[in-house]
Amino acid sequence: MTEGDIIVRLKENVIQGRKNQDEEGIDEKLSGTPGVVELTRLALEKKILLEEIINALTAGMTVVGEKYSSKEYFIPDMLASAEAVGEAMEILKPILEAANVETKGKFAIATVQGDIHDIGKNIVAILLRGAGYEVNDLGTDVPTEKIVDFVKKESPDYLGLSALLTTTMTEMGVVIEALKDSGLRDRVKVLIGGAAVSDEYAQEIGADAYCVDGFHAIKVLDSFQQAKTS
Amino acid sequence: MSTSSIRNEFDIDTEQVFNRMGYGTDGVPSARVESLVREYADNICHLVEPSYSYVIRDINSVRGSRVFIEGSVIFRSNVIARLLERCQKVAVFVLTVGGRLGEVVHQLSGDGLMVQAAVLDAIGSDAAETLAHVVQDIVGKEAEADGLGISQRFSPGYCDWRVSQQRMVFRAMGSDTAGVRLTDGCLMIPQKSISGIIGIGPADKVESYNPCPTCEKRDCVGRR
Repeated sequence: MTEGDIIVRLKENVIQGRKNQDEEGIDEKLSGTPGVVELTRLALEKKILLEEIINALTAGMTVVGEKYSSKEYFIPDMLASAEAVGEAMEILKPILEAANVETKGKFAIATVQGDIHDIGKNIVAILLRGAGYEVNDLGTDVPTEKIVDFVKKESPDYLGLSALLTTTMTEMGVVIEALKDSGLRDRVKVLIGGAAVSDEYAQEIGADAYCVDGFHAIKVLDSFQQAKTS
Repeated sequence: MSTSSIRNEFDIDTEQVFNRMGYGTDGVPSARVESLVREYADNICHLVEPSYSYVIRDINSVRGSRVFIEGSVIFRSNVIARLLERCQKVAVFVLTVGGRLGEVVHQLSGDGLMVQAAVLDAIGSDAAETLAHVVQDIVGKEAEADGLGISQRFSPGYCDWRVSQQRMVFRAMGSDTAGVRLTDGCLMIPQKSISGIIGIGPADKVESYNPCPTCEKRDCVGRR
């Protein structure tokens, strides 16, 4: 397999959501051929540039995002691709760290106090990892003090808050107020999501953005990155 | 009051499961997702511990958007008030498929197996809905024996019925809530639980009640 073939196949296998050679993917005929994990290892053996490998993974996820938006792909397909990229990023992590390559940013995510829903939060977390962010998942039912403490000690660039119910979403506003009181609000961009929240609610509590889903969160973060560099 | 655990043989409606995962009526699941859904659906009986409880109470009066129920229970909602002013009684219920399924979803999710976690979570939701149909049938038979009919189910959090009204639903249930606990934020634990009401009254008045066609929330998951 040439270096060019590896890169093409890496992207294709992300689109197929094939973590390893044992998985079927969307196209069942691929079963038995190398998946994202094997191709990532092969790319490293062949000394393909890290940037090229990451670009192939990102390009694959971009196609997945497009297919998800056009309803050609659905949640399980998107998750399979994100899982595959997540595995590849785990393989690349020590090499990226050794090469001092920075991630796109540090993202802390939590379901606020009083709420224990985690599927939506976990989907966002896996998509962001696949998009090149360093994600710290603080869990569910996370006390405001713990979130503020994390922001203080770890200085994440972004904070994602999740809540499903109208009775629990108010805690998001409590977190933002606590960040202000601690003098930390300007250090971190706050994104909110969940079934009960909206753009209007984000504005009301002073969040920086409301995200409909994980792909939307990636777009919002990209726009923050662009604003930072321009 | 009637409380029961039922045999955990569920006929999971796989079409509904795909629907919950966003496939709708036109989306075609890949072969691997389809086989995963079927595998979990076939084995769901090992992960659910279904139980339900319901109580049938008299409706004392309806004033504006407030419904006064026997036992110092007050429901506040225009949609619920318009339903219950047609009814003589109301069945209040809580049901659950238990906590085991949620634990497995959490474990899968923690292990990074998000596809499996999402599929099992959707199947758990369908199992709870299936159990709700069972409860509705039981209440329907009880009403029929009295020459009455039943309405559709309504739950706090839908229409204009606030989630915080869960407290009133649980107050109506008394001490028997089928093992379901309500948190301060009105979240039910285990998560795969449903609470709500079913109106009981003259069949011609209650069976046709449906507020959905006049509601603006077009993307509501409960739209009927």
